Amino acid sequence: MTDGAACAVTDLLSEARSGDRAAFAGLVRRHQRAVYSLALRMLWDQHKAEDLAQDVFMQLYRKLAHMQSDAHVASWLRKVTTHLAIDRLRQEPRYELVPLEADPGVPAEPAGGDPLLQRRLRALLAQLPPPARAVLLLRYQEDLDPVEIASTLDMPVNTVKSHLKRSLSSLREQLGEGFESAAAPEGGPIT
Amino acid sequence: MTIDLEKQLRDALRPAAPPEGFAERIAARIEAVRLRRRRLSPPFVWVPAALAASLVLGFVALHQWELRREQQQGLQARRELIEALRVTGEKLDLAYRGVSDASRPANPDDAGT
Repeated sequence: MTDGAACAVTDLLSEARSGDRAAFAGLVRRHQRAVYSLALRMLWDQHKAEDLAQDVFMQLYRKLAHMQSDAHVASWLRKVTTHLAIDRLRQEPRYELVPLEADPGVPAEPAGGDPLLQRRLRALLAQLPPPARAVLLLRYQEDLDPVEIASTLDMPVNTVKSHLKRSLSSLREQLGEGFESAAAPEGGPIT
Repeated sequence: MTIDLEKQLRDALRPAAPPEGFAERIAARIEAVRLRRRRLSPPFVWVPAALAASLVLGFVALHQWELRREQQQGLQARRELIEALRVTGEKLDLAYRGVSDASRPANPDDAGT
């Protein structure tokens, strides 16, 4: 982010704090993709994901006075979204198999690679237990390292690492042969 | 051929766009909350507090009034008792004098005969 862009974002936050509704709408637009995507891939339901994302932004609106920077807003949003999603999943457990056709988590823009494989990956991710799912989403969607994930989910770093390791090997097992991880070879440490 | 699972995961988990009008719906919810707050704000927000304060003051005043009334009733009863004792004392005094007069001889000279 350039200095000018960083300054504009800080202005957005301070204007939103002083009650400027347009500035708050700007903050929402800035973070809506991350929050909605986390909610969607945690809950696997577009309506529930939108409800949750709206609740998260309503909480942000009430807590604006405590926000110090845009980075603080982003990490606060990730934390509240994942915790709320895990809570809601605990209230209504979903143990049924997720059908491949019912993929609500399609990215905004198509990327390279195999779309069928990506669909299958999202479906397999949706079948992981909620904490493991949150760990994988924060790692591969939000690009956080294990220390940041641990702080977001309030869990020990070693637990995060073991979730990552177990989930990746479970995914590899279910996808079949031919899947290797460049960053974390089998049995190697996940940093 | 090996496939990089982590890269595939990153590709599969690129952010998804929220439904159309998402930010506007949040703005509408915030506006609804603000309107509700404004509707509840002064003077209406003070009405329950004022009612509660009036009730407390009313109870305290009633209690004080009751105490004072009991005190005045006590003083009145004391005054009436003292008056009754005074009247009784006077009556007893009169009776004593009557009895004394009756037992005294009419002519002191007849006493020796």
